[in-house]
Amino acid sequence: MGNPRFWLSLLALTAAGELLAAPPATGNRLSFVSCPIVRDTRSVPCWLSEYEGNTYYLTIQSDVSAEVQPPMLGHKVLVEGVVSAAPAVCGGIVLEKVRLSVMPEQDASCNTMLPADEHYTIDFNPRPPGPSGGRLAFDPSPASATAPAPAPPKGPQTFQLYFDFDKSVSFRHPAPLVSILEMAEKLHATRMTVTGVRGAHKLSNGNLLQESAGVGQRRAEEVAGLLLGAGLKIPATTTWIDGTPDADGVDDWQSRRVTVELLP
Amino acid sequence: MRVNISNKGKYWCSSLLLLASLCSDGHAQPASAPADLWWAPGSGQMLPASVDYPDESGRLGLINTSGAIGTSGHPFFEALGTNGRACVTCHQPANAMSLALTTIQQRWQATAGSDPLFAPIDGQNCPDQPRAEAASHSLLLQRGLFRVALPWPPRDSKGNVTTPEFTIEVARDPTRCNRHPVYGIDGTRHEISVYRRPRPAANLRYVSASKFGVTPFIGKTGMLAAVDPETGKPVNMNMMADAREATLKTQAQSAAHSHMEVSKPLTADQLSRIQQFELQLYAAQRWSTLGGALDEAGGPSGLGPQNMANGRDGVLGNNTSNYVFPMEDKWSQLPAGNDAKEKERNGFRASVARGHDVFFYRTFWISDAMHINTVGLGNPIKRTCATCHGMHMTGMDTANGWMDLGTTNRPWALEPPESPWAKELPSLPLFKLTCRADLPPHPFLGRVIYTQDPGRALISGKCEDVGAIVIQQFRGLAARAPYFVNGSAANLRELVDFYDRRFNIRFTEQEKVDLVNFLGVL
Repeated sequence: MGNPRFWLSLLALTAAGELLAAPPATGNRLSFVSCPIVRDTRSVPCWLSEYEGNTYYLTIQSDVSAEVQPPMLGHKVLVEGVVSAAPAVCGGIVLEKVRLSVMPEQDASCNTMLPADEHYTIDFNPRPPGPSGGRLAFDPSPASATAPAPAPPKGPQTFQLYFDFDKSVSFRHPAPLVSILEMAEKLHATRMTVTGVRGAHKLSNGNLLQESAGVGQRRAEEVAGLLLGAGLKIPATTTWIDGTPDADGVDDWQSRRVTVELLP
Repeated sequence: MRVNISNKGKYWCSSLLLLASLCSDGHAQPASAPADLWWAPGSGQMLPASVDYPDESGRLGLINTSGAIGTSGHPFFEALGTNGRACVTCHQPANAMSLALTTIQQRWQATAGSDPLFAPIDGQNCPDQPRAEAASHSLLLQRGLFRVALPWPPRDSKGNVTTPEFTIEVARDPTRCNRHPVYGIDGTRHEISVYRRPRPAANLRYVSASKFGVTPFIGKTGMLAAVDPETGKPVNMNMMADAREATLKTQAQSAAHSHMEVSKPLTADQLSRIQQFELQLYAAQRWSTLGGALDEAGGPSGLGPQNMANGRDGVLGNNTSNYVFPMEDKWSQLPAGNDAKEKERNGFRASVARGHDVFFYRTFWISDAMHINTVGLGNPIKRTCATCHGMHMTGMDTANGWMDLGTTNRPWALEPPESPWAKELPSLPLFKLTCRADLPPHPFLGRVIYTQDPGRALISGKCEDVGAIVIQQFRGLAARAPYFVNGSAANLRELVDFYDRRFNIRFTEQEKVDLVNFLGVL
């Protein structure tokens, strides 16, 4: 059995995930479902998640306009990203091209909140409450405010709307839906096709994670109904792809989508 | 014209029995409440351009920017229906155009329950109960709640029946209305009765402003926004607790039918006059018993009714260019004061300033709140009161402002403990909602939810909207207790205590006192 103290130490380190976890190779794509973890900091909290003994940095709390929005305690999160060589943030390995999707079912085990720790700081100054020199979350950026008007659209115009896992229309969609309405007016669209897709993910552990059957239809019908309900008065064809989906582990989040095509 | 301090206004003071001290000195403190501030329908009184009413922490100020108006024949003030009520019945000037519980109780005493305020249609727990008995009006008399009967299943904007995402059962029916053979869910009328407070019919230029974040799609859910039937444009859906009415006119039409029992729809002229009146009326605390004048020259620009009348509407306050309630640090560095009175005033004002800072800067973990933790910020978020209460000058949400903070949903809704020895029994109904298994569950409450009032979900039919209530404005609070949609906070301290429990904020006693003082001067 060897030295029992060695084995006890090994057991303790293993439990802490500090020995057996091989550091991930830079550039590796990861796709996993795990509990999110909140770590408080002096400014805003940061969000982490653990997978196969490693801790990954996901994002920080910022604003509704953030490109990557934090997940939710009480739910697992589907994480996709590419391992980065960047210095760790908040104690987590940084993932590039990170995509997060809150899993819809509740999971009470996802309840870890870590206190602020002086070892972990983040290079972010949150917008303070009240008047300041910061940028309003909903304001157009200076670049977009001065950008030249786009050329008048010609030919069919296609839009992709992406969804959280097993979810339909949410807070993510008012802006793209408004864009579709505006384009339909500019294009003098005469027809619209709306195609909903049931997505899937090839996880890093080799498992295939599929969305629920019927979600493609639900998404397509909801999106079409919303556009028509908002005043789009053109014939709409609604289709869906709700079969057994496959996935290759590369940007699988794009499989959870609705495609809207406007035809002049 | 500021009636209580001007010569022109003296007739008003006498007609309303305002105290002599109030009429002779605009900043004097009323010794006690006037005997009767009740505004009866059809009384024909003049509503001055500016008038003060005593309230729990000083005086409420009401400003009518169009100047004094005669109310005789005005559709807001005349009984238009069959039960003797007018809009003013439930939107009393002395109560910041809402209705305080104390006023309701005084009216019961003064009229032995015969006032139209207690009309069976909604002033009773259920319409067919004995009108003369106080027990029939217990929710109105004890919590200031009116019955709101909503169709079930819900109807869309065109009146078509929709398919909700959940089934609903009555788990508790203390008012004996939701299992009633006529008025119950399975009754001949197919209605659900919930019980809610009336909202203030003042500062509605802010409440109805559809400027920030209003698109054809609701910002927090992506669903279709309600539209103004006259313009076809989307509205902010911020007016009613469940956002079921799109505009002031549709609300007036609906209320005339459901609360005043009018026999035929209001005319276009009546609706326009009501809308015009509501858009020119501003209410805010004008005088604080301990803090003195709230609208004095050089004071904070976020206080007093005149600043409400002058302010910008539809503006996000919790952002990079505006405060919600601007104080400009006017009361943050006051001297101690030269005499006892000045010391007391400055000390109170300093407390108000600290309360503002608690509201605006004191972070805590906001967790499991539907439509705030689900809109991309994460769950939990480390933010402040102003995160949700962000509209400049009112503290409402700026657009599509319904959220579930737990005021009506279990486990957070206030309920008396169930025990064999309990002296208080639950007074509100309890509904069991079961969300469809083929759809995602409510993210925080799962698929089976118990609630006193499903809120927005009774209109949208959405599981995620169960218990979501549109945030109210913060103005004139001292004149219109109790608070929350179900009147569950009897006073401002209970309101603060609710949040403290709900979000485990762990306010210090000083923070609570300061926050209450701040809210009391809005």
